[in-house]
Amino acid sequence: MDRRSFLKTFVSAGSLVATGGIPSPAISQGAAAKTLRFVPQANLANFDPVWGTQYVVRNASQLVWDTLYGLDSKLQPKRQMVESEEASSDGLTWTFKLRDGLKFHDGEKVLAKDVVASITRWTNRDSMGLMLKAIQKELVAVDDRTFRWVLSKPYPKITYAFAKVGTPCCFIMPERLAKTDPFKQIDEYIGSGPMRFVRADWKPGALAAFEKFKDYVPRNEPSEWWSGGKVMHVDRVEWVIMPDPATASAALQNGEIDWWETPIPDLVPLLKRNRNIKVDIADPLGNIGAFRLNHMHPPFNNAKARRAVQVALSQEDYMRAVVGSDTNLWKPIPSFFTPGTPLYSEEGGELLKGKRDYDLAKKLLQEAGYSGLPVTCLVAQDQAPLKAMGEITADLLKKIGMTVDFVATDWGTVGQRRASKSPPGQGGWGMFHTWHAGADCVNPASHIAVRASGDKAWFGWPDSPEVEKEVAAWYEAKSFDEEKATIARLNKAAMEHVVFIPTGFYYGFQAWRSNLDGITNGPLPWFWGVKKA
Amino acid sequence: MFGYLLRRVLATIPVMAIVALFVFSLLYIAPGDPAAVIAGDQASPEDVEKIRRSLGLDRPFLVRFTEWSLQVIRGDLGTSMFTGLPVTELIRQRLEPTVSLMVVTLFLAIGVAVPAGVIAAWQAGTWIDRLVMAFAVLGFSVPVFIVGYLLAYVFALQLDWLPVQGYTPIASGFWPWLENLILPAIALGFVFMALIARITRATMLEVLSQDYVRTARSKGVSEGNILFLHALKNAAVPIVTVVGIGVALLIGGAVVTESVFAIPGLGRLTIDAIVRRDYPLIQGIVLMFSFTYVLVNLAIDLIYTLLDPRIRY
Repeated sequence: MDRRSFLKTFVSAGSLVATGGIPSPAISQGAAAKTLRFVPQANLANFDPVWGTQYVVRNASQLVWDTLYGLDSKLQPKRQMVESEEASSDGLTWTFKLRDGLKFHDGEKVLAKDVVASITRWTNRDSMGLMLKAIQKELVAVDDRTFRWVLSKPYPKITYAFAKVGTPCCFIMPERLAKTDPFKQIDEYIGSGPMRFVRADWKPGALAAFEKFKDYVPRNEPSEWWSGGKVMHVDRVEWVIMPDPATASAALQNGEIDWWETPIPDLVPLLKRNRNIKVDIADPLGNIGAFRLNHMHPPFNNAKARRAVQVALSQEDYMRAVVGSDTNLWKPIPSFFTPGTPLYSEEGGELLKGKRDYDLAKKLLQEAGYSGLPVTCLVAQDQAPLKAMGEITADLLKKIGMTVDFVATDWGTVGQRRASKSPPGQGGWGMFHTWHAGADCVNPASHIAVRASGDKAWFGWPDSPEVEKEVAAWYEAKSFDEEKATIARLNKAAMEHVVFIPTGFYYGFQAWRSNLDGITNGPLPWFWGVKKA
Repeated sequence: MFGYLLRRVLATIPVMAIVALFVFSLLYIAPGDPAAVIAGDQASPEDVEKIRRSLGLDRPFLVRFTEWSLQVIRGDLGTSMFTGLPVTELIRQRLEPTVSLMVVTLFLAIGVAVPAGVIAAWQAGTWIDRLVMAFAVLGFSVPVFIVGYLLAYVFALQLDWLPVQGYTPIASGFWPWLENLILPAIALGFVFMALIARITRATMLEVLSQDYVRTARSKGVSEGNILFLHALKNAAVPIVTVVGIGVALLIGGAVVTESVFAIPGLGRLTIDAIVRRDYPLIQGIVLMFSFTYVLVNLAIDLIYTLLDPRIRY
């Protein structure tokens, strides 16, 4: 008997009298082993993966809703709910057949009409979905297990669109839920994935629970990332929300939780010293830090002013501030794309390499006619990486002779203010920092930050027809070599236009108790295949 | 007394109305956009605008305020923008942990600080007095989160006596409920104990110097009876006042304590709502806290009449 059990027995004996004998629940060791307690990266505040596109919503949704295709570790789409597909010779008509035996959590069969409604909702919110919607001639259920998508233009990346991990993902819901306006939240959480959502136990900000769906039929293949057989070895997964990293760290050390998705680098050495805990890189695709400039207003509406920052910016300074001195955890990247992925290119990246040149930066600013206009830097203080990057930026801009208007605020305010197209002095902004998940930066489909379609582009509104031409070419590329060549040209064009400035590539950690087995690295925490002893 | 009670309860209505208008106005002018948070980092500006419209955030201030006020009058605090759940349900989910934390903290703080303050006054100028006052200075000086982390490190991680975090409802058993609350209650009660101990000591010193105490001593009444039956009762009014003020302190302190010990209470709900700019939820929580505070003040006023027969309303 350990000290806690002794105390428990001792105090319970007395307290039974005081409470009239209210018993505490007896949780057997077996039951505990069947419950996986997981601390996610953030609170699951809503649960509609199309309405709310935060990563935490997607990560929870993967348990409840299944997808037509799933990405494997080579970033290739693999069949998941789909049994077979057929494309017409002109590439305009795609016919998909669903696997037999697919069921929703309410016991209803998954039918093609559910898939059609789910795809329709998704195409209103997703960048690839919107492209498909623009060329859609017909999307219909042919029979209970077959649906057909007729397009006016070939779209070779269609299966990738169904499989991608970038949000929003194409999750399949019952038709009655999928008919909800894509800008309104669903109020029922019925899917056909390996776990069902326990609505009664959901306490946003505290707990979300998922129970094994007995009727789920996994594919008869080994699982690999989001593809293959999603076999659950635990009966229940509990997401315990812990906003404080020190508490999560202590709870993991004490065995009160099993798996922590995002330990902060400062606490990792402590966790590594504990023999009951395993620590590893969470996502091999990592993250890319970003210095986002406002192309609409001075000074960064001038290409030379943007270039001035680019030639002076040291990614090493940023990464040391964000991650620390362990160089295994970060590296400079002269690219907008995720290193180590098939399409990665450093073409044009020499602008970010070598000695940083403050004199050249000052000369470029002079040529740009910069006369001391303050650069409004929006720096979110409640996000550690962004706070660190903001401090480096303030120093950098001052070093090259720029005036800094440092707006220390929170991420919620940055989220609002970055949408403002007003001049910086009138509620707008000059620059802000963010980071992009490496999984989103593997190609232009989900990497909306690299797009340069002016008014329609992501915040900062860069406008470069050269960049957009290469994006369009990638979508139409018919071979891998063609895709790779397109990405190289795209990277070069985006570097020359300074769409944004990457501040480096870095990894995050995950940590788990050593009695867990089967945890893999990936852009999401995959729960299938995880066993708890 | 009944008339007084009725007047006080009716007086809460304009107070609540002013609080409601103030909070609503403050949130209206505060920066931040729930639509941007909902849409996520990958959303286009057009999507953010559509979500803003669907949430009704594009409507004028007066329209939104009137609509919300009418809802509140009907007893409906609205729906959380993020979770889609009723605000009353979200508050209900979080009420028990916070109330439990406050009750245990109050018991602990009063149970430790009042006797400590009484003894310090009795032994004024001795090492016991200095020890109690040193403890009080420490309680004022050390932030709640430092005390929390230290307690968790020693009693949870090193000694393994108590859990690090979490909350177990009382329906699951008294000890499971209590073991989750001991460390947070000590951390939260630390400053509160210091405050009560100081006030108790100061008030008791004044009372102990009065003639009736000397008379009681000369009549041979035991020191225990003098201290706890005669003197403490007369010193109780200022102590009860401080306890009332302390409830407001506890509400503020609960925000930090609940984060440090991962207790799913109203403090964390408040922080989450503010960070996300979940306006209906923030408004609902602030209204509830204001109402609670008004009620606590009323209760304190009524307790005065029990402690001091000279006070009548």
